[in-house]
Amino acid sequence: MNYLQNIKHKADRANVSRLRFWIQLFTFLLIVYGGYFFIHIGSQVPTFACPYNQGSPGTCYLIAMQHGLHLTWSELVSYRGLAFFTGFLTFIGFFIVFNKAWCGFICPLGTLQDWITKLRYKIGIRFSRYDSASFQKLKKIKYVILVLLIAIPLGMSNSFFGLAPINHDMQSPFCQVCPGRTILPLASADTSQIFIDFTNKTTLVMSTLGILITALFFVGAFAKKRFFCFFCPMSALQFLFSRIGILRLTKNGSNCTRCGNCNRVCDVGIIGIAEDITSKYIVKDDCMMCFKCVEACPEDNCLDVRVFNAKIFSSTQEGFFKRYIQPNELSLKNEKNDER
Amino acid sequence: MMKDNQQTDRFQRVVKAASIHYDMEIGKTMAAITDDFPDNPAAMKYFYEKHRNLIRNDSNGKLPSKKTIATLCIHVPVELILAVGAIPVRSCAGAFTTEQLGAEFLPAKSCPMVKSTLGAISYNLLHGKVQPDLIINPATCDQKKKLGEINEEISEKFYLLEMPSTKDSEESREYWLQTVFKLIRKLESVTGNKLTAKSLKRAIQEVAHAQRLYRKFNHIRTSAPVILGKDALLVTNAFFFDDLESWSFHLNLLNEELENRMKTGFRVVNERAPRILLTGSPSVFPNMKMPLLVEELGGFIVSEEFCSSSRMLWDTVAVDEWHLYDMIPALADRYLKPSTCPNFSPNTDRIRKLLSAIEEYKIDGVVCQTFTGCQLYDMETRIIAKAMEQAGIQTLFVETDYSPEDIGQLTTRVEAFLHSLKHNRKKQLI
Repeated sequence: MNYLQNIKHKADRANVSRLRFWIQLFTFLLIVYGGYFFIHIGSQVPTFACPYNQGSPGTCYLIAMQHGLHLTWSELVSYRGLAFFTGFLTFIGFFIVFNKAWCGFICPLGTLQDWITKLRYKIGIRFSRYDSASFQKLKKIKYVILVLLIAIPLGMSNSFFGLAPINHDMQSPFCQVCPGRTILPLASADTSQIFIDFTNKTTLVMSTLGILITALFFVGAFAKKRFFCFFCPMSALQFLFSRIGILRLTKNGSNCTRCGNCNRVCDVGIIGIAEDITSKYIVKDDCMMCFKCVEACPEDNCLDVRVFNAKIFSSTQEGFFKRYIQPNELSLKNEKNDER
Repeated sequence: MMKDNQQTDRFQRVVKAASIHYDMEIGKTMAAITDDFPDNPAAMKYFYEKHRNLIRNDSNGKLPSKKTIATLCIHVPVELILAVGAIPVRSCAGAFTTEQLGAEFLPAKSCPMVKSTLGAISYNLLHGKVQPDLIINPATCDQKKKLGEINEEISEKFYLLEMPSTKDSEESREYWLQTVFKLIRKLESVTGNKLTAKSLKRAIQEVAHAQRLYRKFNHIRTSAPVILGKDALLVTNAFFFDDLESWSFHLNLLNEELENRMKTGFRVVNERAPRILLTGSPSVFPNMKMPLLVEELGGFIVSEEFCSSSRMLWDTVAVDEWHLYDMIPALADRYLKPSTCPNFSPNTDRIRKLLSAIEEYKIDGVVCQTFTGCQLYDMETRIIAKAMEQAGIQTLFVETDYSPEDIGQLTTRVEAFLHSLKHNRKKQLI
């Protein structure tokens, strides 16, 4: 037991952000090039493992879901429907292991955005600030996209309200506008996804949107940390099941001083993490479980990362100061102290 | 105008007489602090000396080339002052002598701290007789807010730091950030130095280093009875005027000594001494009336929820990107969001903080002091009373001021309170 406590004590002082950087690098290579090394992790991956990229070791569940929902109502309640639901359960199975850490540690698009942020920080260009009230409204877009992503495939096989079924050019509608489809193949030196399809009006609109969103992805990520994540339907889908995740982020409100440190360092600007002193499960819909909040919390055992109910990383005063005081900034002082 | 007045005979005579009185007041308080208690830590000597020489003009080891900037409240970001190469001096005063001087300018029912502070500034009786180049006065309570308008001879030095009256809304946060930006421009123009990312980062790190030591100190004193509250209050009080580096250095020495005491099981009070939490209007040296009274009568002050101690030093700055664009908002947040000053409404965080301290530090009773005329703390007294009653914590509410007149009456009340705490404890044991 003492041995375990020692390990926990060390973990609480660790620099998780640095660890995360290396994990992200590793998972980025895995998700983008894993296929070349005969790795296959199935077609229910809860992150942007984009099959348009030849090196992808699996398939993003969003594409599987859009395909899987290309069903008539009667098919949906038949064995084909069952196939969809087993696929869905596989997705949940993958998802609950890492919970939303899929976004913070594994998602290649998230990693790309973090690298762009690092670049901006190095250059010393400021990030932009938004009026939080309007941004709160803007964030709801991801749920709209999620609903569309489910409704459009169903609308292709069925008729809603007596309207004609949707044009088949709308197949996998989200993939057509997803920046993952255009960007990730570039890692395999494949530029074939960057095009505008002039076949008909639908393809013209969708492919143009795709290119625009790709451009916005880069511009947005440069101006705001994790810009795209605010609109990501995968994030929305994951959040719906975040409560059953094995990996958990919990808060003990009675230890919280509402100092707002967690909110300050949060890449997605979640205010609730600082203001909410009643919820135990504190994962909010934009949370990507990067655990920077836990690192920045200066109160003992206020924020905890848990596997089931066992704490694996907790906020501590000691850890906070170890991470935030850089001894080289204080070198002069120590020299002076020695003289005394 | 100020110069002219300072030349006058009356002014000089008042300063001279008040200096003598102030010095005597300090001497008396220091005698009570050092002589009435047997087990004072050796490392406290530095802090005792600092306070003994409080108004003696020893420049406190500061370089004369630097500008001195007085602050009248914990809401002034000291990191900014350090970063523009000036010396911050928190000038809230606790002397009865200067309170009497200040009474000349203010209504009779004003708060003694406000009177004392204005008196000390008006008659050059701040710590080390320092003459500040700028006095930053946050618009917190009504009495402080009006302070700069009253004595026109010094009002040109006053800078009103606007404060929102709530801290919970995004609007107030934005407003506060703008006032911090305005303060930076003022500091830059007064000192002639530009705020740079490098200097601010260094200042944040240095203050964080001091905070780390303070938190360690707090951990030591709350987990083992190795230092009395009256000494702890002097440590935090020295932060008002002491050089940051030497303060940190000597606090570190004290921490080491106290850790040794912990190892050897040395205790400054016996096991039966009731563990007390102090809160309310802040005790500022030499107004050590309540803390001394509690400990002289056998209580043990484990912690204080005062803006002259824990509230000033506890909360930290967390910066994500070490450029000015992120450091300044982070700093602004640190001086607004975690504050439990009663000038904010609502101020539920204060109750939560008290309750968590009571649980964590195993507090037996709370002593809540209010200065006569300190309306905000007086109003919150009722809220606290209710919360403490619900939590089942015995609380002593005291209204007092800087004058020594009520000592006799207070002694009886504190004695009875401590007695009843001991009695309750015995009952619990049976």
